[in-house]
Amino acid sequence: MPSLRDMRSRIASVKNTQQITRAMKMVSAAKLRRAQEQIVNMRPYAQRILQVVTDVALTRQVEHPLLKTPSKANRVLMIVITSDRGLCGGFNNAVCRFTEKYIRDYKDAHEKMDFIFIGRKGADYFRRRGIQARQVILNLAREISYNMASKMAETCMNEFTAGDYDEIRFIYNEFKSAISQKLVSERILPIELVETPAEPANLKTAASPTMIFEPEPKFIIEQLLAQHFSTQVFRCMAESVAAEHAARMTSMENATKNAKEMISKLTLTYNKLRQASITKELIEICSGAEAVSD
Amino acid sequence: MKLTLVTPQKKMLSDVEIDELIVPADRGELDILPGHASLMTTLRAGVLRVRLKGKSELRSAAISWGYLEVGPTGATVLADTAEWPEEIDKLRAEEQYRLAMTRLQDAGLAPDDQILMQNKVLKESARLALVK
Repeated sequence: MPSLRDMRSRIASVKNTQQITRAMKMVSAAKLRRAQEQIVNMRPYAQRILQVVTDVALTRQVEHPLLKTPSKANRVLMIVITSDRGLCGGFNNAVCRFTEKYIRDYKDAHEKMDFIFIGRKGADYFRRRGIQARQVILNLAREISYNMASKMAETCMNEFTAGDYDEIRFIYNEFKSAISQKLVSERILPIELVETPAEPANLKTAASPTMIFEPEPKFIIEQLLAQHFSTQVFRCMAESVAAEHAARMTSMENATKNAKEMISKLTLTYNKLRQASITKELIEICSGAEAVSD
Repeated sequence: MKLTLVTPQKKMLSDVEIDELIVPADRGELDILPGHASLMTTLRAGVLRVRLKGKSELRSAAISWGYLEVGPTGATVLADTAEWPEEIDKLRAEEQYRLAMTRLQDAGLAPDDQILMQNKVLKESARLALVK
């Protein structure tokens, strides 16, 4: 049976923890708002640029290696985005477990698999399992910028066009809302063309065989694809950052709630204990007095 | 004709009905009216002007580099940056313009930087043209 003093210090420590989790929740909420704004503003551009790329591809006026779908992917580059810090629920675990399963399933099918880990949690997880990373990028949440994304995109794209890889895949958490994230495994290169052209005339898009290009289509498509790819890389990163803050906010909120529950339980036990000891003392005093008066 | 104007930072216009669109295209100004043939072009830094449906005056925006796609139903402008006149900080634009100009005069500038600075000068002068 714990003493009253033990109980008091336990309650105090839970209260402290609650204070910390509440503060962390606030911080995440503030960071989430900024990250959310960024991603919401970013999405229309990313969608439109994909639309334009699709349109251009459907005109069949240009040929580009990035637009061709290989029959089978042999050399795959996987870019896995996790967070640097923990305390964000199942956020990192989901990504790591999915990636591990993916590796197991496709190990024999692919002749080469390389990894770029963004975020310390994922990098550590796979280092412990003996999987070598080609590159590790840390501090994403603090230093996310379009420049950094486009630099990385450029390197990846050069390797892709040089024939080092024939598929580039991103695994990350997509930001759905403040309370839910969705794990996504997305093939970024070669570009997935959403619409399959059945009858070009029936399409509601701008695609038409007579499309005018100014300057040369070859020149445009080169730049456009580069732009598209860096936009997608940046979008994946921004999604993951927003999702991380959202996940942390939710899990800290839960932690605060649990602490509150724990405090009320402990307080109840404490009060019972206190009453019990008062009763005990009273009985002792009473029986002592009785013994004397006899 | 519908116009969508987006940048990586924000959505400026989304499927807005317009009557006319003037853009600084690769080989000079382009005036797009409803019913234009399908077109895909790059845009230079400059001033984009748009006349909303039923209005007579033109709204201007300063853009730096981007793409224009025109289809049967509308046009899409993908710009690197785009600003309405009220969003431009005049003092900052002036300062940036001067800075780019002086850097451009530097003889030892690498060719890549030179192009970069030329674009910067174009961009800032478009911004300044709007606020003046």
